Amino acid sequence: MTHCALKAVKTTTQWDIFCCVVDNYGDIGVTWRLAKQLTNEYQINITLWVDDLNSFSHILPPLDPSLNSQKHDGVRINLWSEPLPVNYNAADVVIEAFACNLPNAVVQAMHAQHAAHKEDTSASKAPVWLNLEYLSAEAWVEGCHGLPSMQNNGLKKHFYFPGFTRNTGGLICEKDTLDQRNVWQSNSDCRRQLFSKLGLKNIDDNDTVISVFSYETSALLRLCQLWMQSDNRIHALIPKGRSLNSLQSLLPCAINDLNVGQQVVHGNLTIHILPMTDQQGYDQLLWSCDVNIVRGEDSFLRAQWAGKPFIWHIYPQEDDYHLVKLAAFMDSYCDNLSPQASKIYRSLNIAFNKEQADTAVQEWQNLDLIQPEMSLHAQQWPIYILNDADLASRLVQFVKNS
Amino acid sequence: MKTAHEIRPGNVIMLDGSPWVVLKTETTRSGRNAAIVKLKLKSVLLDSTTETTFKGEDKLDDIILERLDCTYSYFADPMYVFMDAEYNQYDVEAENLGDAAAYIVDGMEDICQVTFYEEKAISVELPITVSREVTYTEPSARGDTSGKVMKPATIAGGSTLSVADFVKTGDMIEIDTRTNEFKKRV
Repeated sequence: MTHCALKAVKTTTQWDIFCCVVDNYGDIGVTWRLAKQLTNEYQINITLWVDDLNSFSHILPPLDPSLNSQKHDGVRINLWSEPLPVNYNAADVVIEAFACNLPNAVVQAMHAQHAAHKEDTSASKAPVWLNLEYLSAEAWVEGCHGLPSMQNNGLKKHFYFPGFTRNTGGLICEKDTLDQRNVWQSNSDCRRQLFSKLGLKNIDDNDTVISVFSYETSALLRLCQLWMQSDNRIHALIPKGRSLNSLQSLLPCAINDLNVGQQVVHGNLTIHILPMTDQQGYDQLLWSCDVNIVRGEDSFLRAQWAGKPFIWHIYPQEDDYHLVKLAAFMDSYCDNLSPQASKIYRSLNIAFNKEQADTAVQEWQNLDLIQPEMSLHAQQWPIYILNDADLASRLVQFVKNS
Repeated sequence: MKTAHEIRPGNVIMLDGSPWVVLKTETTRSGRNAAIVKLKLKSVLLDSTTETTFKGEDKLDDIILERLDCTYSYFADPMYVFMDAEYNQYDVEAENLGDAAAYIVDGMEDICQVTFYEEKAISVELPITVSREVTYTEPSARGDTSGKVMKPATIAGGSTLSVADFVKTGDMIEIDTRTNEFKKRV
């Protein structure tokens, strides 16, 4: 993988990222990864403002939710409450993640700086203000990426759209992710050691291992019922959460009463209750499994970097609009596949999302027909879509040009 | 104030102290159902256009300028000529019509609103719904009557849009000018 050869931004540069936690792991997962990468690779001083530190602590266990301000991995993490618990001074760059509404104090500070610069051009300019949007493979993203949004108070905000093509904002991928993955996957001891660390027992090297991090869908239950009848042993690794809501009929007790590390065996299927891990641990899990079922945006992207076949359970939207977004990604992902592989893979993903359980089972069985092609494609895909530049490098360049 | 989602071609909005005519609106959906509105704007004061983006719920200052109910009269390149009830004629630059130009056809009787800035006609806003004749569309392929299966059609004036599969060439259809979407067969 190659990244744009950008010089590090001067170390005094201060960027603030604001994140409103909506579904526990998605938004904060993306912003936390970005914050760490900008700090590590570009030596930018990052302050990540988060409105729900409890949720954040699930993916960053050392985080203390009772503190208003703390530092982890070189990133200053501040509690975003109203009013802000600390005095706010405008940063050089202000990012509102996923169209969250910035606190008034922040907008006022930016406006004051803008007004001061209009009065005296030697004063600092207003911060570069960005709205970091959701990832989508839809064609319209290219036409909206980077456009200004003129505000009534004279400030200018830009919409920054992640995406899969050269004319978008790119995809979050740290410089060493794919190299680390290659090293990991070339040594089977890594997988064994990870499973042992996670308390996953009785998994042989030849068993099929599937990670599951989805929303609720009846297709998952039917797939589990299929896996029970499998000729070989299948392990489904599932954290406590929404996926298990669909599998209640297979569980011996209420979801809340399940213990991390607990195994539930049905025929040749073993369901393992996974502990929550930090982001590095989750990456390693994805690298170690044969198939990954992922959801939302962050795990969806990490599954692609894992270079393994995956099913994407997309965040459901009104009027089934998520199916439009799913189809756009499928168009892109399946573009270079054979007609047979494209048809099976699309149909499996659509069926999983539309709860067409019978079709999902049928297409899962058909995966055997295209397994070598899908595995090769999964390996090549990350290099193809990074387009020589990940999101952080494009973002730094965008700010430089602003 | 209007939300960005409510802004239509022909509106005039004030941004950073300057008036802009809205030529084109394009609404798309981001994650978690949030709307994103892309606007093509033309400066009223300068001969320049720009594109800009807003969240759907962003509040925009649509300025209330003098407006008159008019009907389309004729096209005198590059001006569209509109006429009010007292037979006064107003010229509007073709460029200023933006997306609305797709629905301007000879003989149309729709009441349009012509907007003035310093006594100059600067934009035209169409009714929310207009009826137009379908000049060409392929015959129904599947005999679908539900209205859920769509196909392309060309309407009087030459623009194209998606219509229900049961619509035939020669049919009159209603179109929502805010979204450029087919509403129903008349």
